[in-house]
Formats: sequence, C-alpha cells, structure tokens
Amino acid sequence: METFLNILISGVLLGGIYSLVSIGLNLIFGVVRIVNFAQGEFVMLAMYATYFCTTHLGINPYLAVFLVAPLMFLFGLAVQRLVLQPLQNEPMMQIFATFGLLILFENSILALTRGQAFSLSGGYSSVVINLFGLKASGVRVVVFLAASGIALALMLFLQRTMPGKAIRAVIQDRQAARLMGINVERTYLLTFGLGTALAGIAGALLAPIYTLSPYIGGNFILAAFAVVVLGGLGSVPGAYFGGLIVGLIESFSGYYVDPALKQAIWFIVFVAVLVVRPSGLMGQVGAEEVGLREQT
Amino acid sequence: MTTSAIALADATAARSKPKSLATLVGRYVGLLLLACAPLGVMWNDPYWVNILAYAYLFGALACAWNIIGGLGGQFSLGHGVFFAIGAYSVARLYLDLGLTPWLAVFPAAALATLVAVLISWPTFRLRGPFFAIATMAINEACFALANYTDRLTGGPRGILIPFRAGFWNMIFIERWKYALLNFGFMSIVVLITVFLRRARLGHYLLAVREDEDAARSAGIDVLKVKLLGMALSAALTGIGGGIFAMYVRVLDPPTLFTLADIGVKFALISLIGGIGTIMGPVVGALLIVPIENFLRGALGGAIPGGHLIVLGIILVCASLFLKRGIVGAFVGAVHRIRNRKRS
Repeated sequence: METFLNILISGVLLGGIYSLVSIGLNLIFGVVRIVNFAQGEFVMLAMYATYFCTTHLGINPYLAVFLVAPLMFLFGLAVQRLVLQPLQNEPMMQIFATFGLLILFENSILALTRGQAFSLSGGYSSVVINLFGLKASGVRVVVFLAASGIALALMLFLQRTMPGKAIRAVIQDRQAARLMGINVERTYLLTFGLGTALAGIAGALLAPIYTLSPYIGGNFILAAFAVVVLGGLGSVPGAYFGGLIVGLIESFSGYYVDPALKQAIWFIVFVAVLVVRPSGLMGQVGAEEVGLREQT
Repeated sequence: MTTSAIALADATAARSKPKSLATLVGRYVGLLLLACAPLGVMWNDPYWVNILAYAYLFGALACAWNIIGGLGGQFSLGHGVFFAIGAYSVARLYLDLGLTPWLAVFPAAALATLVAVLISWPTFRLRGPFFAIATMAINEACFALANYTDRLTGGPRGILIPFRAGFWNMIFIERWKYALLNFGFMSIVVLITVFLRRARLGHYLLAVREDEDAARSAGIDVLKVKLLGMALSAALTGIGGGIFAMYVRVLDPPTLFTLADIGVKFALISLIGGIGTIMGPVVGALLIVPIENFLRGALGGAIPGGHLIVLGIILVCASLFLKRGIVGAFVGAVHRIRNRKRS
C-alpha cells in the first residue's frame, strides 16, 4: 500500500511537470494553430537563463522566474512576429520553421556550453517534504502547485477578461472573431508570447530539478504532445489533467513494467486516444480535423 | 492555399502540348544522367565518391518520402521507422540466414509496408500538423523499442556487419560501386515517381493533398489512397534502409532514428529541392549533403553542433523564402517567361 501511494505521489508530481510544460504549448496550439516543435527548447532556454541568473547574478532561482518569464515573453513576440506570422496559412512550412528553430536553439546552446552539463547547486533538490510518512521532493511540489495555480489563473483570465475572451473567440472561429472587431494578429502575438512566458516559468522552476543539457527539451516535448492530444486541442484544463494522467501512467508503468519503455507507453496512450476519442478528453469534438483547416 | 509547384507545372503542361510517356521518361533519364555526371568525373576521388554515394541514397529516400509527403501532402516525420525496419531486416536476414542483400531487400520492404499500413491506419484520421506529431511520436517510440529489443536489434550496442567484399554480399572494396548502386536505386525511385504522377493513384494523391473534402465528395476513397501512397513510400524507404545497412555496416538506434539526421532530413531535402516536384528531392540531396559535409568538416571541430546551427538557419530561411524549393522556383520562372511570350 505504501509503495502504491509513493508511486501515486511521484506520478502526480511528475504530472505537474508535464502539465506546466503542456499548458503553454496547448495554448499556442489551440489559438495560433501552430504546432510549436520548439516549445521544449523554449523551456530549455529558460532553464539556462535561470542558471545564468543564479550563478552570475546571484538571484534565487524562484525569484529569477520574474525576470525570465517576461524575457521569454518578449522573445516569443519576436519569434511569432518574425518567423511564424509570415507563415500563417502554411501549416507545412510552420513545421519546417519550428523544427528549424528547435535545431538552431539546441545546437546554439551546445556550441555556447561546449556540451558541458550544468546543475544548480544550493541543495534545492534535497529538500524533502514528509507527509504522514510519505515522502515528496520539495522542488517538485513547488512545480505541482505552480502548475495548478497557473492553470486556474489562466482559466480565469480566459473566462473573465476581455483579452481572454478575444482569445477564446479566435479559438472558435478566426473569421467571425475578425468580423467582431478583434485584432486576430495581435491576439496571436499575445498568445504566443503568453505561451513562451509559460515555458519561461516552467524552465525557471524546473532548473533546480534537472541537470541542464542542450537536449533536455526533447524530454518534455513528446510528453507534452501526448498530453495535448490526450487533453484536447486548446483546452487549459485538458492540458492540466492530461499532464497529470500522463505523469501517473509513466510512474506506474515505470514501476510495474519497465522505465525504458516510457516512450512506447506514451505512444500507446496516444494511439488509444486517437482511436477512441480523437478530440481528446476536453477538446472540442472535430477540432483535430477541422481545427487546422485553412482560415483566413 | 498558395499555388503549389505541381499545380503550376500542371498548368504549364496543360497549355503546352501534352507529352507522351516516352518523352517524359526520356526527359527524366536525361536529367538523371546529368545528376550522374559528377560521379563520372570524380569516380577516383574517395572523398567525393563517399559524399556522392550519400547524396544519391538520400536523394532516393527523399524522393520516396516525397510520394506521400509531397504528392500526397501527408507530412510524415516517421519515415525513420521504415528506414530502420529495412536496415535491421536486411542485416538480420543477411547475418542469420545468409540471404543475399539483393534479395533481402524485398522481404524488408514488405515488412516496412506492413508496419506502415498498420500505424497509418489510426493516424491518417489526423490532418496536417497533427499527423506530423503522431508520426514523430511513432519514430520516438520505435527508437525506444529498438534500444530495448536486444535480441533483434542488438540494443544500444547495435549490429555490426563484417566486411566480406563480394557482389552477392553487396559489399565492395571500391567506393564508386556503392555510389553507382545508390545512383541506380535513386533512378528507379525517380522513374517510379514519374509513372506514378501519370497514373490514377498519382492524380488521386494530388487531389487529396489539395482538398481532402473535395476529393472525398468527388468519390475518391481518401483513406485507401493515402494508405496506398504510404505503402509505396514505405516500401521504397525500407529498400533504401537495406542499402544503407550494407553501406555503413554499423547499425545502432541513434544512426537510424535520430530525427534531425533521418526522418526530418528526408523532408528537409525535399523542401530545399521542391516539395511535390519529381526532381526536387534529387536536387536537394545533391546540394544539402555536400554542404552538410563541408560544414561538419569546417565547423565540427571548432564549434560543437556548428553545422547543425547552419542547418537550422537554412531550414527556417527556406520555409520563409524558398517555399517551393529550387525546382519549384525554377518551374515558376519558366511559367512566367512562357506567359509573357504568349501575351
């Protein structure tokens, strides 16, 4: 029983990481209709930025969030405006462009760091929270709480504020939104910036957990895609709960089957969802088919 | 959607006299001979012969990808799977059963086709980028499986094929024979594409690419057309994987599944040359493979990942400024000049 609970907790905490990474990806996915292959690399860049802030500027990684996230927001604006906006109605070219960015970012960091791995010292990862005899890693609990808070805040933002409503309108129908006087391009810009800022938050909070390497983005991106397909296109709660489910699946299969097979298991989840419910748990039905059709 | 290179080429062709199959084949044989010319000049220079051998093989593989990715518009990032299946099958059949690779490529192609149809069935209900993600996930899942199934693939250590030169072993001492073999394979794939473009299936694939719903309402069985296109593409990719296996003779999962080197490379080569055009992948490969080799030599030692930085920039710039690729841009220019003459 205790083993089971421990696996459950580690699964939920892992799920928190996936949720945190997936929410930004899914927002971009749902609104801008771009499959951002470089999202994992945005997280990676933010991790390195946080590392830099901590070691060179002496800022606590949890305070560095407030510096890294706005920077990533601006960076996201630049990428959207310069690279992705010109490719608005060309899904195939978007894939090439974001994949090109992925290769570019990954290897730029590789060139800058000369392949040396970094990890944040300061003993953040050794903090253990003891809860009725069950142990949980402190840094991961922070990530889980942050993911929950962000999901909630984002839902409120989308439901209650005017920019949020504009984003939802664009998710539903670009053309109708444009006719209602919404500046669709500016909504894209805002959303993409928001998505990369979320990647920035994720990177800052994950920096104390992982050993930094240029390829770490790849660890997140596949899981995040599985989460997006599972949770549903463009849905914030879908990404949140989808992340938790994928985390639990990985944790349990890692214990009872084999951790080496986690990618294969993600894929089985992936295909099973596609066959049974292609729109995902909380997505709009049909979004996977018409969601990416040409809209002008 | 912007007018694609193929549609433009069709428009050009429709206005000029319709060409017979013989003229068409003649033209492409001529273009292929042109592509073979560098080998004729440099057959004695091992450095360049090696690059050409890679360029021809990747030209063939990009051409095979182009059948479903370009003509059919189904952006697969999972062709590394069929490539790896081909490579592992040929290696296993050759090492365990002593079957000559010349014959082993056929069961390998059959297996690649079977797997392609099985994994495409559920994923073909996805469109555009969703399909790309799903195929990428397949690639990564198979990467993990290949590392795991020690007995079949040798796991992370990989398979080593001993060097026993001989025609029936498809292992040669002279490098130019490899280049010639790869060139022959590329020619076959190009000619298959030429025939396919004129066949019913080719037209159906184009129709599905341009507008899936319109194709369906015109009575085309969309799923069947996609599956047939994928099957053909996967079979050729599998054969290419088999040839690759006998060429490099060291097979481990990173060599066969790394996206930037295999799955995405096929698409990248097609993009540079011209997606959906027949000679595009060949032109792309003859350009990209030497450039990459040069960059790896020039930057590889000084800046780790330097050649990939340049490749990433090329990829972003090509998607922004060279959407129709070199061949597509060329066809477009010819089209404009002809129009000007007419008016």
